[in-house]
Amino acid sequence: MRVQLTRVLWPVALAVTACAALVARGVADELVDPATLGTLFRSFSDSGHVLVQSLMGDYGTALGQAALSLHVNNEHVRIPGISALPGSQQAIDAITTASRPITNNAFQDYVKVRNEVQGEVSNPRAAVNYYLSSEIDYLAQQLGAKYNRDLRDRRLNLAVGTSYGWDEIKPLPDADTRTAAGSKTTLHGDAVATQILSPTTLLRWGLEYNIVEGLQYNPYRNVYAGGTHVPERTPDHRERRDTFLKLNQYFSNRSSLKLSYRLYNDDWGITSHELESSLNQYITHGFAVSYEYRYYTQTAASFYRDEYPTTNGIDGYLTGDYRLNDLASHLFGASTRLDMAALAPTHTLWRRTGMWLNWERYFNSNNYSANILEAGVDLHFQ
Amino acid sequence: MRVRMAWRWARVALAVGALGATLTLGSGCAAPARVYQREHLVDPIMSFEAQARLDARKMKSFEAREGSTGGTGGAGGGCACN
Repeated sequence: MRVQLTRVLWPVALAVTACAALVARGVADELVDPATLGTLFRSFSDSGHVLVQSLMGDYGTALGQAALSLHVNNEHVRIPGISALPGSQQAIDAITTASRPITNNAFQDYVKVRNEVQGEVSNPRAAVNYYLSSEIDYLAQQLGAKYNRDLRDRRLNLAVGTSYGWDEIKPLPDADTRTAAGSKTTLHGDAVATQILSPTTLLRWGLEYNIVEGLQYNPYRNVYAGGTHVPERTPDHRERRDTFLKLNQYFSNRSSLKLSYRLYNDDWGITSHELESSLNQYITHGFAVSYEYRYYTQTAASFYRDEYPTTNGIDGYLTGDYRLNDLASHLFGASTRLDMAALAPTHTLWRRTGMWLNWERYFNSNNYSANILEAGVDLHFQ
Repeated sequence: MRVRMAWRWARVALAVGALGATLTLGSGCAAPARVYQREHLVDPIMSFEAQARLDARKMKSFEAREGSTGGTGGAGGGCACN
């Protein structure tokens, strides 16, 4: 295991070291952004009455010839208690598909807190970053590096990135599952090309590859199989790859159209297609609105079934995770952004301030829907 | 079955890559965007980077609701189920 881990970590460690050296050396003739401070409130509520409220903060500043950015996030997740009568089929359904431990009283709301910290040191060519996410039963860490280079009179930019994530999962005591502590690692690599096609057209396309090892199922969830319910079991290994193409077009009426397509496939049998579009328009100087639509569809994992005839499942695997079933979803969104510098260019505070508001409505073929609301303020210094 | 799906994915990935490469390399013959002609390309409503943070948050939400991932060039882990 140690040999395997060392072999996997070597390329990431080399990439991080190389990018750190490039970041430290800096590129003297290229400018680093001025200091910025931003805060964001995000509220996510869905048709299952799950409520997620996030308070985020972002800070960015120059660090010699490089730039430093920090991101923090404090998140409260409230999963509602079960409303059905004890012993009823509805109560059992709610318990077996729960993403929460069932301890003393399953009829009470369950609140979970997640804290996240992310730091990145970068210059225009390279970046190294570290990510930490902590919950009572889940600790995730990730180390990453990126490098990019301009070519052909700065009309083409090529970028490569890699990261290594390692997660520790320690399930809480649960009344009907007995999952032992586990871990998960993710090795990621990507290559992205961005090309200026004309003075008003940008194109980006990329490839991403992820190799995931370890515990990849919900440790609190049971599945109906052979007339009883048993804990989920999924493969420990998963290879996930995707390719995407994005096109941004500027129009003379101060608007832009963004189109993107993504194709995803993994060795669990899921293939998905994603189409996304957004129309962005300046209403007046410094005030812009955006409208967005996204369509997504996927096939089911090879071992997913609505019902399993035996407790052996399919090839020894069973899942009650609807994310692994056939799925189609739609998302509509609208957002506004107000840059106060355009409206009050001489005011000490307002000229440094940007405000924005996002709203999104998501729904999928499992009768699931969600509303996402985001409100943010950014301050720029220097 | 798995091999067939992987092969099909590889063919579509190649097609998407070929389209991107054609557009990228073909643009060498198109009107060049000189530095002073790039005013519109750096406008916030055209930027890929201005949307990167929003895209990363979105991806985290979608990962908890759908079976795929990606499209942003890498983001952090964790699973508070949002």
